[in-house]
Amino acid sequence: MKGLFPFKQVAGFVSSLILTGIALLVYFADLSFNTSISILLITAFAQALLQLVVFMHAGETKDKWSIYGNVYFMMFIALATIFGSLLIFLWDM
Amino acid sequence: MKSSETQPLEYSTKQNELNIFGFWMFLGAEIMLFATLFTSYFVYEHRIGSGPLGSEIFKITPVIIETLLLLTSSFIIGLGINAMRMGSKKATLTFFIITLTLGLGFLGFEVDEFLHYIHEGATLQTSAFTAILLMTLGTHGAHVTFGLFWGLSIILQINKRGLTPEAANKSFIFSLYWHFLDVVWIFIFSFIYLKGMM
Repeated sequence: MKGLFPFKQVAGFVSSLILTGIALLVYFADLSFNTSISILLITAFAQALLQLVVFMHAGETKDKWSIYGNVYFMMFIALATIFGSLLIFLWDM
Repeated sequence: MKSSETQPLEYSTKQNELNIFGFWMFLGAEIMLFATLFTSYFVYEHRIGSGPLGSEIFKITPVIIETLLLLTSSFIIGLGINAMRMGSKKATLTFFIITLTLGLGFLGFEVDEFLHYIHEGATLQTSAFTAILLMTLGTHGAHVTFGLFWGLSIILQINKRGLTPEAANKSFIFSLYWHFLDVVWIFIFSFIYLKGMM
């Protein structure tokens, strides 16, 4: 029975709940826009990384660098698309 | 570096290994799909026309419940894969059924949320903001809906044929998909709901 609830996964779940709780501070506490956005960026990317490593087992097999390479490259393209578009359409640069 | 003998069940053949790697490639494309939706969302977020603002239609309680349902289901399917690697068919099936039930609960709350938006006059045609909001949430919700049917078919296969290398491989790939949907939701939760309400 104990083997059905491995420590690594339970700890991962608890961490994701804590990170969600911290993210909720931006709603329940009265913080400035910059502080709030910084909190959200940190908690969201920490949670994404947690899912990738703990739950998706990304680093466990011999093709791990191909997997990480693919994911990080796509995340780079995704962020470049998002922030590049923000630069053009919202921040007037 | 691990040798192939110590690789988990779902990696037991070369074909299975390639199936999993191929699915990671697909997830890379999915990251881009959601990135384009987020791009459009951030660009149109303030173009509300005569429609409502995000802060006027978002409600924190259902959003927190949806987040907890999806986070928990992602954890439970992780336990399902762990049980599968231990070779326990019963535990695997139990965890998978709990996962899908939580997913169904998530979907129920999301449908209710959409009805609330329509009631508030925030439809696909209302403004650029409501259009891209419903498109982004709807694309994620459609993925979850598809996942429910996919997961159900895997449960039926494990139940009928047991934890064969093929079934294990399919289950692992499905778990990757489910975790990915949770990751997308974390970004929706943070940068659509919380950012819209703060």
